[in-house]
Amino acid sequence: MDALIIGSGIAGMACAVRLARHGIHVTLISPSLSEHSESVMAAGGINAMLTENDEGDSVESHVQDTLKGGSYIGGEEAVRGLCGHGEEIIRFLESIGTVFSVDGEGRPSRRAFGGQSHKRTYYCGASTGKQIVSALVMETRRFEAAGMITRRLKYSFHSGLIKDGICYGALLFNLERSRLEAFFSDFTVIATGGQNALFGKTTGSTMCDGYAAGRLFMQGADLKNLEFIQYHPTTLETPQKKMLISEAVRGEGGRLFYLENGERVYFMEDKYGEKGNLMTRDIVSREIYGCGKDVFLDISFLDGQTIDERLPEVRDLCMKYRGIDIKKEPIPVTPSVHFFMGGLAVHLNHETSILNLFAVGECASMYHGANRLGGNSLLSAMYSGFVAADEISGRYSHRKYPDFSTYMENERKILNKDYDSRSSFPVFYIRDLLSVTMNDDLGIVRDEKNLKKGRKKTDYYLSVADKLRYDRSVSQYTNYSLKAMLTLAGATLKAAEERRESRGAHYRSDYNETKDEYAYATLVSYINGDYSVRLDRENIYES
Amino acid sequence: MKVNILRRETRDKEPYWESFIYNGPEDNSVAGLLDYINYNDDIRNDKGEKTTRIDWECSCIQGICGACAMIVNDKPVLACEAFLRDIEGEEITLRPLSKFPVIHDLVVERPMHEILTDNNVFIGEYSPAENRDFQQDYNAAKCLKCGLCIEVCPKYTDGRMFYGAPFANDCYLVAARNEQKAGEIAEIYEKHFKSECAYDLACEKICPMGIKFTASMKKLNSIKRGDGDRSF
Ligand SMILES: Cc1cc2nc3c(=O)[nH]c(=O)nc-3n(C[C@H](O)[C@H](O)[C@H](O)COP(=O)(O)OP(=O)(O)OC[C@H]3O[C@@H](n4cnc5c(N)ncnc54)[C@H](O)[C@@H]3O)c2cc1C
Ligand code: SF4
Ligand code: FES
Repeated sequence: MDALIIGSGIAGMACAVRLARHGIHVTLISPSLSEHSESVMAAGGINAMLTENDEGDSVESHVQDTLKGGSYIGGEEAVRGLCGHGEEIIRFLESIGTVFSVDGEGRPSRRAFGGQSHKRTYYCGASTGKQIVSALVMETRRFEAAGMITRRLKYSFHSGLIKDGICYGALLFNLERSRLEAFFSDFTVIATGGQNALFGKTTGSTMCDGYAAGRLFMQGADLKNLEFIQYHPTTLETPQKKMLISEAVRGEGGRLFYLENGERVYFMEDKYGEKGNLMTRDIVSREIYGCGKDVFLDISFLDGQTIDERLPEVRDLCMKYRGIDIKKEPIPVTPSVHFFMGGLAVHLNHETSILNLFAVGECASMYHGANRLGGNSLLSAMYSGFVAADEISGRYSHRKYPDFSTYMENERKILNKDYDSRSSFPVFYIRDLLSVTMNDDLGIVRDEKNLKKGRKKTDYYLSVADKLRYDRSVSQYTNYSLKAMLTLAGATLKAAEERRESRGAHYRSDYNETKDEYAYATLVSYINGDYSVRLDRENIYES
Repeated sequence: MKVNILRRETRDKEPYWESFIYNGPEDNSVAGLLDYINYNDDIRNDKGEKTTRIDWECSCIQGICGACAMIVNDKPVLACEAFLRDIEGEEITLRPLSKFPVIHDLVVERPMHEILTDNNVFIGEYSPAENRDFQQDYNAAKCLKCGLCIEVCPKYTDGRMFYGAPFANDCYLVAARNEQKAGEIAEIYEKHFKSECAYDLACEKICPMGIKFTASMKKLNSIKRGDGDRSF
């Protein structure tokens, strides 16, 4: 039996090593090293309920915090599974050499994170994701040396080899040789991360573009909860990205303000009282957006030594990228897209609506409902990888693959034909327009008019996508990924339009209340080139 | 600003120089400069001729993934952390790292992962030594495998015998976490690192993560000598 895993961040590697431990051979695909995945960027920590957590904390309490954070559409059984395995996951990570920060007695340390009733975020200094990736890379290497995992770099996903609702592997694009190659497999696992590139500049990695989810959607896989996108309220803008300014700054007393007639207005404190700056991510993001002014975060009143001790990363980042000395001046901040609660719809076993096709990590929609708690995504990246691996290990190999030669021939022809088109607009141009549309029309505060406008634009971009000038001087991947990204964007706008309420990270100015009739996940299917949106009232993805 | 780039179409083609004129923001990083040049409907060189987009790798754009390592004005750097404001003169020269095979333009193939796999540098069964040095473990595990240290190493040539600082770094991580394997790892380390290392320590100076190789090397050397200092 074998499995093909696409994406080698934390979720992909967790799944790979677990499958290898089950004795199943894995081919692990990614365009570049695991060190380049978004997972290395996670700083704050990973949530878990361990026996040594504070008295009064419990798995049940972690479950309730997670469900509440997700506005009760995260799926109770799934969340129970996630939180119930926190201890096992931390112990596993320790056992493969993850360097957790430790207390005086050598036990992993914990910190408090937003939205949680107890301190249960375990961390590795200021680079939790990187430390986990380093440990997983080494564990993966162990199975690579034993011939159980084969890493293939310089490959990107093209499409699923899917017939009659069953997946038999994937068509991959060899980035070095610029050609399509078929990889047949009993089970295929998608672990390609979130869909940052739809929005251009975000806090995350440029490698995460949502293409795989978009393409599989066009091939029949359901998508879920796309409208729920978490904004981080405080990021520092640079010409190329928005860099996350840790919540720790507000935790240490940082104050948000804007200037009016030369005077500072501490708008969060004015509206929410003394603790106003510490309100949840979505509320702070909305307030910053709503004030329509340049907003700053001030921590310069703290003494320099405290800043050096407690906020060295923020100090360095501001100085390095913008020449800002946080000991002397406030930090200009802006909210940014940070995490995607939505993605490929999966059942409890992480199988998609297509048989033998699984999705894990941020590209799958599970656990986080309408909003994610900080620290829960690393936990879910690990857990989902394990769940998919355990499910696969209990299945049988079919080993009989249908003939895909016509499909492959067609796809090759399409790639080549795209090069012959004559238009003055290169793909880059439309990608940029798409990110403007998504930020303008599917922002922090949404309404019907803008969502419709956004969809009209994505429909237009889609209508010209086939006529664009495909650029021979960029990777063919950049060219062919456009259409599926546009389709995913269209589906996201449509899902946001259909949810006529406000819940978690989805805020509608024209429907600003939460309504019981919408207390379900949103599902989107692609039928005859159109998006079909419905609520999962039967909870089909909670089984 | 004139930007000279050492380009190459494929592995088997000869490299060539091509220049561009950059008129973008002065506070940009080199990564930003590359994006700026690439993001145009048509990309033209300094002679006004149409040319192909410049290929380079990136992911985090904030100095924590190592993808964008390249040589800027003869200095190996992470392009997203190298700023135009720090460049002296009116020209800037970009080259791919020189110790690894070039795949395309500024994109190279780093062999560290294969080398480590082929030499069984993995923990296996976890049995850490007592008195672990968590700070050193933490620092060593921050290695990006970016290859900047290899670029400045006077001993590293083609990665056949001498494997460079990231290799020693991961050897340390294994020895620190599996006491039973420490001896075996120290042997490999001796053969492929210590016996050749010139102790130039340019690697330590250039490392963007500030990894202290000397501390790791000291530990591995003490295992090799068997002098009983096995504390990690
Ligand atoms: C700045 C920042 C800080 C964060 N901090 C925290 C935190 O403190 N705690 C927490 O829990 N979470 C945090 N997160 C979120 C967390 O890091 C991610 O949700 C998680 O790492 C996702 O892991 P993944 O394995 O699903 O995806 P990724 O790590 O994004 O990996 C995706 C993989 O897929 C590959 N890939 C992408 N597209 C393709 C394709 N088309 N074909 C083939 N391969 C492809 C990529 O190369 C990569 O290998 C943070 C995120 C950011 C951006
Ligand atoms: S040791 Fe430092 S310079 Fe060398 S590869 Fe690792 S991070 Fe890069
Ligand atoms: S892009 Fe990650 S280090 Fe430069």
